[in-house]
Amino acid sequence: MTIQQISVFAESKPGHVSSILELFGEEGINVRGFSAGDTGEYGIVRFIVDRPEDAMAALKRNNCACASTPVLCLRLKDEPGELARVMGVLAACDINVIYSYSMISTYIVLSVSDVEHAEELLSNEPVECATQDDIPHLRA
Amino acid sequence: MLLSFRQGPPTDYDKVMNVTSEPSTTSPNIKTKGTALALAAAGRFSELPIYAPAVECMERSQLEALQLQKLQQQVAYTYDNVPHYREKMDEMGVTPSDIRTLADVRKLPFTDKSVLRDTFPYGLFAVDLDSIVELHASSGTTGKPIVVGYTQADMDVWSDCIARLVQMAGVVPGDRAQMAFGYGMFTGGFGLHYGLMKLGCMMIPAGSGNTERHIQMIEDYGTTVLIATPSYAMHICEVGERMGYDWQSSPLRVGLFGGEPCPPALKEEIERRMHIVCTDNYGLTEVMGPGVSGECLAERFQQHIAEDHFLWEVVDPQTGEPVGEGEEGELVLTPLDKQGIPVLRYRTHDLTRVHTEPCACGRTHARMEKVRSRCDDMLIIRGTNVFPSQIEDVLCGIEEVTPLYHIVVETRGGMDHLTVETELRAEAFSDSFEQMDALRARIAERLKGTLLVGVDVRLVEPGGIERTAGKAKHVDDRR
Repeated sequence: MTIQQISVFAESKPGHVSSILELFGEEGINVRGFSAGDTGEYGIVRFIVDRPEDAMAALKRNNCACASTPVLCLRLKDEPGELARVMGVLAACDINVIYSYSMISTYIVLSVSDVEHAEELLSNEPVECATQDDIPHLRA
Repeated sequence: MLLSFRQGPPTDYDKVMNVTSEPSTTSPNIKTKGTALALAAAGRFSELPIYAPAVECMERSQLEALQLQKLQQQVAYTYDNVPHYREKMDEMGVTPSDIRTLADVRKLPFTDKSVLRDTFPYGLFAVDLDSIVELHASSGTTGKPIVVGYTQADMDVWSDCIARLVQMAGVVPGDRAQMAFGYGMFTGGFGLHYGLMKLGCMMIPAGSGNTERHIQMIEDYGTTVLIATPSYAMHICEVGERMGYDWQSSPLRVGLFGGEPCPPALKEEIERRMHIVCTDNYGLTEVMGPGVSGECLAERFQQHIAEDHFLWEVVDPQTGEPVGEGEEGELVLTPLDKQGIPVLRYRTHDLTRVHTEPCACGRTHARMEKVRSRCDDMLIIRGTNVFPSQIEDVLCGIEEVTPLYHIVVETRGGMDHLTVETELRAEAFSDSFEQMDALRARIAERLKGTLLVGVDVRLVEPGGIERTAGKAKHVDDRR
């Protein structure tokens, strides 16, 4: 049950991320989670949105450097020790997490090296994966 | 023929040169998109138009005889009418009668931009201002502007030069030419405007800016020719693509570029994406404006100099002595029939090589290699000479980035520091810092291999390098 993550190349300059968000706003695309990482001069901003295909189309129309990548989205219980437990599950399955960020505080997005294999491994584990269809309706 | 030049009042250029007498063999399909490039690829140059074949395809011996005769008249005219040159020549002990061969041009004084600046505004004018019909000026980015004046005869020569170079790109009477240069004092706008009108084109004087309106006008008015800087043409192309405009079915057929050097890779890309043929021309305000030389479709990296109007020399920028045949040096130009401001041996600071062998297009006029660098745009980075064109060449060989770039030079901790900003292509992006950093490292390594100095590379997002309607500024030297 992977979901689509949208990554956008953005220079580290004021206004660059907000112009992407404005574009999503114009298209009525709802951002459910995001993460911005940087190397000082440029960054990759990653989004989880309700309509990833429409978001990609809008970005491409505006000549943005963007990519769509499958990632995992796990649901966590909002209680102490839960994040450690889930990370422990991933470690036990030998899943390598490239980066991870949290969405709506009780959901974390994970980019892993072999997303399909990781999905398979996790299906037998005590963790809950969100599906693309869940994304518009997630509640904390 | 041709021997009655400059005797008495300004001559009617067309009558003297008898330029319209040749029967045209131009392909009837020349106005169809793609025809000019297809004919050139097939070597069928006789089916491409030549504006003034009697002059442009003249035997070189005859051309040189014409040049000598014009040079002798021009030197005498300049000596008689411009005190600055008379004083200089008197100082050097040279008189107009000392000019017996074309090589004798070397006896004459050089002219540098500073002379035009120091005599601002009218100090070098050779005629009464009543005979000047138009003034133009250079941008004056490096201090006071320089101003030049044209008589009607000067305007006729200028238009003639433009008509020649636009025909090299396959532009014909009846074409609809849309101007995306700014008008104003800059020579590019009006220079191209008058020349295209002279050829018989319909002018659409849109001017610079408002890209979406440009695209709308191309569609509404059936524009076939676009005049722009290459970087602005690229911007028009991109904006059109974003608007969903189909360049392949657009009426636009020809791009005429100028105002800034055009990297070959950028031109190729514009030709491919806009489905047009593009040429660029060379010129400078101090000797006339655009039109000193123009690119034909046989030698796309070179430009035919209008040799009946300009005598060229290539000299060592340090010593001023001529370099060997076909060797690189600084281009020096002497306009041969300029009346408003006759300039002798103008130092362009542009580096090039000039070739005189016959060209497949049929023209006999010498070809200068397109200017990629100027003697004064050389950067010295930690003691090593670096030309922006070297950086451009490296970037053109890397498919993940566009040919557009920007260079920043700074002093960091007492050392020169070079940063090259280059634009990532949208399709080359991946969701991985690792890959982006690897790309950056690869570009830096290639640059270092060519330049022999270390360089920081900054990846900029698509569209992040400024597209200008005027001259693109590639280097920002903050030292």
